[in-house]
Amino acid sequence: MSDSYFPYAADAEQRLMAGELLVLQRQYEREQPRPRVQTKFNYAWGLIKSDSKQEQRRGVAMMHEIHNEHAERRRECLYYLSIGYYKMGEYSNARVYIEQLLAVEPSNAQAQSLRGLIDQKVARDGLIGLAVSGGVLAAVGAVAVAILAKRSK
Amino acid sequence: MAAAAPEIAGSFKILFVGDSNVGKSSILLRFTDDVFLPPDETSATIGVDFKVKMHEVGGKRYKLLLWDTAGQERFRTLTSSYYRGVHGVVLVYDVSSRESFEHLDTWVEEVGTYCLDPDVVKMVVGNKIDKESERQVTRREGAEYARRLQALFLECSAKTRTGVQQAIEELASKIVDTPALWRKPASGAKGTVSIDESVASGFGGGCAC
Repeated sequence: MSDSYFPYAADAEQRLMAGELLVLQRQYEREQPRPRVQTKFNYAWGLIKSDSKQEQRRGVAMMHEIHNEHAERRRECLYYLSIGYYKMGEYSNARVYIEQLLAVEPSNAQAQSLRGLIDQKVARDGLIGLAVSGGVLAAVGAVAVAILAKRSK
Repeated sequence: MAAAAPEIAGSFKILFVGDSNVGKSSILLRFTDDVFLPPDETSATIGVDFKVKMHEVGGKRYKLLLWDTAGQERFRTLTSSYYRGVHGVVLVYDVSSRESFEHLDTWVEEVGTYCLDPDVVKMVVGNKIDKESERQVTRREGAEYARRLQALFLECSAKTRTGVQQAIEELASKIVDTPALWRKPASGAKGTVSIDESVASGFGGGCAC
């Protein structure tokens, strides 16, 4: 086993500098009302790489539009849609898009690595989720008991 | 091997650039995993991919962060951000494709635009020497090109593994021998272009090589 393999998505973790994102945004605005696909793609990509959830969400929305309108961009759109949802913590959506890419390119190592990352998060959140829902159930139970107790008075 | 793993003496960021299909990802895969995938099992890199490998130079352990960029035109404007903090750049062409060799000029221009630190180590690598009968670029031409760039030069084959290990070893040794490059705090600072519109939309900038 090589020490070089571990799930990693370079694009998920490195954000652009504010100035760089601004350049992409300006270019996108300048080309309105009909920006080139490349310009739109660049801006969407820059937004997805951001640390801000709001920007990530905007980037994902734009990436969806490109995905729907330009078949030739399909593979990279799927990849970045998955990264976008991954960064927003929406792991089931992230999985949907990476699986679509893997269906076409099963041996794509980048895609496999991203799926590995998603799976790790899902496993971790699953455990937390169980703990949380257990806690919620206990709380609901306590309230119900309290209400019943009140009624029976 | 009983002793504990020695400390990491440094971490180097190395960027691979060049046309699509010259074999950047294959060289990396050969180096890190000693594997070669047949062409029908490989897929063009999306944006950027990344691999890590520990590497020993002069008895010290260094961490190599190998950044594999997409060769496709559509990602070109985006690669600028990947040059941040880079210590070494590998310019790859395919010895059986004259076009990929001639395109090195464009890549050199990109490197010159985004990588202003003159200490950054450059290396020109001609891949696919296993296709000797289809060769379109002589070894001499490659070496001459690298010499003009003041870059290291090597030919290799990711398929047969000839030269791959050696290429990265030479590059890493050269970086180790250039402490000015990696000892300064955040070596990227100097190479970090305060990007402006002309830079983002093309390769207008002058070459710093």
